[in-house]
Amino acid sequence: MLEINVKKRLSNGSGVGRTNDFTLDIEFAAAPDGITILSGASGSGKTTTLRLVAGILAPDEGAVSVASTVYFDSRRRINLPIQQRRVGFVFQDYALFPHLTAAENIAYGIKNADKKTRLARAREMLSLFRIEPLGARLPREMSGGEQQRVALARALASDPKVLLLDEPLSAVDLELRAKLLDEIAAAQQRAKIPFLYVTHNEAEAERLGTRHIALRAGRIV
Amino acid sequence: MIWESFKLSLLVVTFATAIVGVLGLAFAFLLAKRDFWGKELLDACLTMPLVLPPTVTGYYLIVLLGRRGLIGEFLYETIGWTFVFTWQGAVIAAVVVALPLMIKAARASIESVNPDYETASYTLGKSELETFFRITLPLARRGIIAGLVLSFARALGEFGATLMIAGNIPGRTQTMPLAIYEAVASGDDRRAQILALILTAISILAVYLTNKISRSNVYG
Repeated sequence: MLEINVKKRLSNGSGVGRTNDFTLDIEFAAAPDGITILSGASGSGKTTTLRLVAGILAPDEGAVSVASTVYFDSRRRINLPIQQRRVGFVFQDYALFPHLTAAENIAYGIKNADKKTRLARAREMLSLFRIEPLGARLPREMSGGEQQRVALARALASDPKVLLLDEPLSAVDLELRAKLLDEIAAAQQRAKIPFLYVTHNEAEAERLGTRHIALRAGRIV
Repeated sequence: MIWESFKLSLLVVTFATAIVGVLGLAFAFLLAKRDFWGKELLDACLTMPLVLPPTVTGYYLIVLLGRRGLIGEFLYETIGWTFVFTWQGAVIAAVVVALPLMIKAARASIESVNPDYETASYTLGKSELETFFRITLPLARRGIIAGLVLSFARALGEFGATLMIAGNIPGRTQTMPLAIYEAVASGDDRRAQILALILTAISILAVYLTNKISRSNVYG
């Protein structure tokens, strides 16, 4: 279970006279038995929410916890570093390391194992996502859909306690999207951890979500 | 004479480039990744030798490292040795004038690495230092190598600050640029010509390499 109850002042202002400051003020829980959808227009605070859970940003006040681990608690002055939070993060543009092959990308985050074991586990992940032929390829030699699968495999290979997905299908064409949505749902069934999935696409939200949270200007509507 | 100054230049430049590489990377990391009080002041101080007359840089080196200098006096009293009139002094002069080129190039290329890669590495449990060496450095390597080549060329051509702190002693501190000066001053045109040609060839090669490295697009 991911539990979050935070406030964070945001300035979205761009240019003089167009200040768009608002306070992100949210409280919700995401269960480990499904995918929780976080939707809303751009600038509504979706991505910020993911960054607060991951520890890339710190809330002004409130608390974040996953399973029984407290990630952040302003009252108890707890702010766990990113590295210790064990969150999987799938970035909008995947952020696969461009100088590493698919297998090396996946092996990168596997902990407590020697190089041989890590690469063997990476190959297991590749076959789980049915992308074995990609193992030796660099990200620039893969299509968007292939990179998406590798990014998902990499995030899950590190054995996270929660998976955060930031519009993971925005760069993938429509035909592939339905297929990848099913794969993400299947991955959730296997991992049995909370998936927090950010999108502004209603169709994606309906197809995937067991729970749907809509954000507008920093508040749940 | 030519051969001696060539060997000495090679010795000085090899040490200087190695030191510039390590120091330059450390400063570039600090300036690109850390926020601290006086950061831009530190950057300005490290950049100064790029715009100061080399003789002024050399003067400050004497003030600092000379036998009665701030550090030099302590050094001379404890181990009885000084940088003045030694090839090690020439190395220091070369390091100080070449360092800004390395820092500028390395800082710019480190800052141009998409921060999402670093964040991704943190979420995968890697420390800031491990991320720097395994992700940032390989991705910034073109700018870093270009900075090293430029620093090498600048160190090779160093004249003013070297003259101030190391002097112009044939066989001991007379590097190629100093040897040219002496050859011209003593009317030995032939020697000046050969030395100038060698230095020009190396400089052209360095600039060519720098351009080639910074233009090649490795990761699309």
